[in-house]
Amino acid sequence: MALAQGAPPRGALISFKIPRGRGASLGLYIIRRILWLIPVLFFVITITFVLIHFAPGSPWDKEGKQLSAAVVRNLNAKYGLSDPFLVQYGRYLLNVLHFDFGLSFQYEDQPVSSLILKSWPPTAVIGALAFLMIVIFGIGTGVVAALRQNTWIDYIVVGFSTIGASTPAFVVGIILIIIFSVALYRITGSNFSLPTGDFALDQHLIMPVVTLSVLPIAFIARLTRASTLEVLRQDYVRTAWAKGLRERLVVTKHVLKNSLIPVVSALGPTFAVLITGSVIVESVFNIPGIGRAFVIAVSSRDYPMILATTILFSVVVALANLVVDLLYTVIDPRVRLG
Amino acid sequence: MDDSVARFRWLRVPALVTVVGLLVAACGTSSPTTSNLAKDQTLRVNIVTEPNSLDPGQQQYSYEGAIGASISEALLKIKPDLSDAAPATASSYTISSDGLTWTFKIRSNAKWSDGKPVTAADFVYAWQRILDPRLAASYADPYFVGTIAGAADYSNLDAVKDAAKIPAFLAGLGLSAPDASTFVVKLQAPTPFFKWIASLWMSAPVRKDVVDQYGSDKWATSANSLITNGQYKVSELVSKDHITLVPNTNYWGGQPTVTKIINYEISDDNQAYAKYLNGELDTVNVPLANTDLVKNDPKLKNEIKFVPQLTLFWMDFNTRKAPFNNKQARLAFSKAIDRNALTTNVLKGRSQPATFFIPKGMNGYRPDLGKSQDFDPAAAKTMLTQAVGDPSKITIDFLIRNITANKQIGEFIADQLQTNLGVKVNQVVIDSKTVTTRLRAHNYSLYVGGWGADYPDDQDWFDIWMTGSGNVFGGYSNPAYDALVKKADIEPDAKKRQDYYDQAQKILIDDAGGGFLYQRNYMFLVKPYVQGLTTTAQDFEDVGDWFWGKVSIGQH
Repeated sequence: MALAQGAPPRGALISFKIPRGRGASLGLYIIRRILWLIPVLFFVITITFVLIHFAPGSPWDKEGKQLSAAVVRNLNAKYGLSDPFLVQYGRYLLNVLHFDFGLSFQYEDQPVSSLILKSWPPTAVIGALAFLMIVIFGIGTGVVAALRQNTWIDYIVVGFSTIGASTPAFVVGIILIIIFSVALYRITGSNFSLPTGDFALDQHLIMPVVTLSVLPIAFIARLTRASTLEVLRQDYVRTAWAKGLRERLVVTKHVLKNSLIPVVSALGPTFAVLITGSVIVESVFNIPGIGRAFVIAVSSRDYPMILATTILFSVVVALANLVVDLLYTVIDPRVRLG
Repeated sequence: MDDSVARFRWLRVPALVTVVGLLVAACGTSSPTTSNLAKDQTLRVNIVTEPNSLDPGQQQYSYEGAIGASISEALLKIKPDLSDAAPATASSYTISSDGLTWTFKIRSNAKWSDGKPVTAADFVYAWQRILDPRLAASYADPYFVGTIAGAADYSNLDAVKDAAKIPAFLAGLGLSAPDASTFVVKLQAPTPFFKWIASLWMSAPVRKDVVDQYGSDKWATSANSLITNGQYKVSELVSKDHITLVPNTNYWGGQPTVTKIINYEISDDNQAYAKYLNGELDTVNVPLANTDLVKNDPKLKNEIKFVPQLTLFWMDFNTRKAPFNNKQARLAFSKAIDRNALTTNVLKGRSQPATFFIPKGMNGYRPDLGKSQDFDPAAAKTMLTQAVGDPSKITIDFLIRNITANKQIGEFIADQLQTNLGVKVNQVVIDSKTVTTRLRAHNYSLYVGGWGADYPDDQDWFDIWMTGSGNVFGGYSNPAYDALVKKADIEPDAKKRQDYYDQAQKILIDDAGGGFLYQRNYMFLVKPYVQGLTTTAQDFEDVGDWFWGKVSIGQH
């Protein structure tokens, strides 16, 4: 106790009194967490800004026909790249405060914010579907495997999740392309038209979503299986069995509620995996989403676009973690926010 | 003179025209084969990449050209056989006897897509805009900066520091519109190739009132504000997916048969190929890996369209470094590459071997000048040993962009040099931007570079090997070459001009300024029902994309 004295209590960043009452403190907790985003974003911006400016290659270095020195100088002047590094950095921070993320270098004069708005929907749809798949299949197979431990079902689930967890997304994607587009195409001649990942929101989602969710499904399945096995050995579960309850009731009422606590906490990081995965999946399947926009931005040294996507990714991951933490309090009454 | 009108009339009734047995070898209009037109006159093509801009002043890439040249029309337009620039928005032009003043007559019936007449002032504005340092247009220098009177100062003007001087600079340019239909351009020097500058798709007019209303950076980003003067106009812009064109009903030359062109932006060539097979695309670039499959397929082989392009590749030697500071060493390297094996095995017969600089399809095409670089591994090794000593002591840093096709070619070249010369080749495969940065900093020994014509004039090619050029990185310099090219660039007499260029090419090849490798051909598949496809050696990202207006869709 003595050590803790004088040290600011957690959350002292905002120094108004926390009123009693769960609703109010929850609100404050959320506000505090969101305010914490500010220093996080500051560091994200700083690190990204420094890294991209010291990366070799300028946005005006092209393949093929080269821009003349005069044109390059004018481009630098137009986009403020001829100013000293610190001036550029300060100006960028100031602009971000006004939610001005600058103009894209690769798409002449188009604001980065509108480019991101355009490429956001495919990423969101694929991400949401993949997340749904992860929750349903990850938790589902994990629970079934635990309940049928050491049966063939369990072995299949464990085998699959081991392979799934150790296979990178780009390998999964390319294998799917080979199976569906090459092998099946050969079998059926030119009549077969399952896509290699052509993108439209109403169709052709299967392969990207599967590719994106395989690894997290495997991860969540293993986690669920382990924690379910642990809960199954608890006394209260034995009591429930002893009372003669049906399996479904035991599982839903007694086992799941407790075995899912570690799983829910793992769903936050899963969100981060989905975002980094979108970078790969969208490149493999040629999907016009934000992950691919990020890859293109990096390879064309589109500084404002790289920065804006990084900021967006950070915000999404941080918010996902916040949501998971809030969910945590709902399913685990022992957890208190503070 | 004005054969574009005549050709158009012919096109209006393609259904009635039956041309039999007239086959054009490489370029030209293929003849309609059926008199039945499909109800749906929609052409579906792939431009590969989303255009970075649709503003004529801001364009620079080939994947922007297909749409750029369809929606915006310059003063002149290339003829399909590239023999000349034909009248387009200008009905005619005259050149003063000193070659310094070009006067273009704008068609009285030339109209914008909103119905307003195209005036000479629109051209004055568009060209001043390209030369405005604040726009930083990619094609400003050297195409406009190097030709138009008063424009040379562009290089001394800073967009920010000299902002106050810019209006005076723009007003002082040799561009004027004495009346609505007369556009007068004064040049720095007699410029025989200026007709090609006037037919660049970036030279199209731009509407000042539209730019002022929507903003210089915004007017070209939505279909509503894209007021253009070409045969087609943009009706729909779906980012990273497609751009739809429909006829500009106000176009002076009447209406095309194809009433809708959907330009997909599919960067994966296998995916585009699958779409072609499924009937979702009407033309497609054959992926390199599928070349043999297509050639042997009984159905597909009849749909092949093979078009040589004015694009040529070479080994770019860094002449500032040993061993490439030695002319004999460069020549030895040039003689050590089996171009036939390269074009047959690696490029699957889709390119032509070249030991010369100017590609087939241009006036300056002289394959006989390339003898000194002919493949001869024994002679090459002797030559190299005599020039710089034991080849096994030489290590070459070979810079390669991290792109599959480039890596395959790089692998082949490295193998040839190691096998035929016995030198060590260190392949440096890195991301594209870093490669360019290193090239510009001269931090390399060997690189495979190339050039694609902006317009089919020798000047566009020979200028890049002049001392101090930014487009060849190796630092090649030969005063005799420079003098000949400078003379040729401004020589009005075509025969004399060609003679100077030929001499210059001979010097360049014998000096091994570059080790010339191959000329690229397009290998496309085109659905049999696509009629009237007019290909040129200057096509952008798709075959026939300069002349979509001549196409019709047959019943299928």
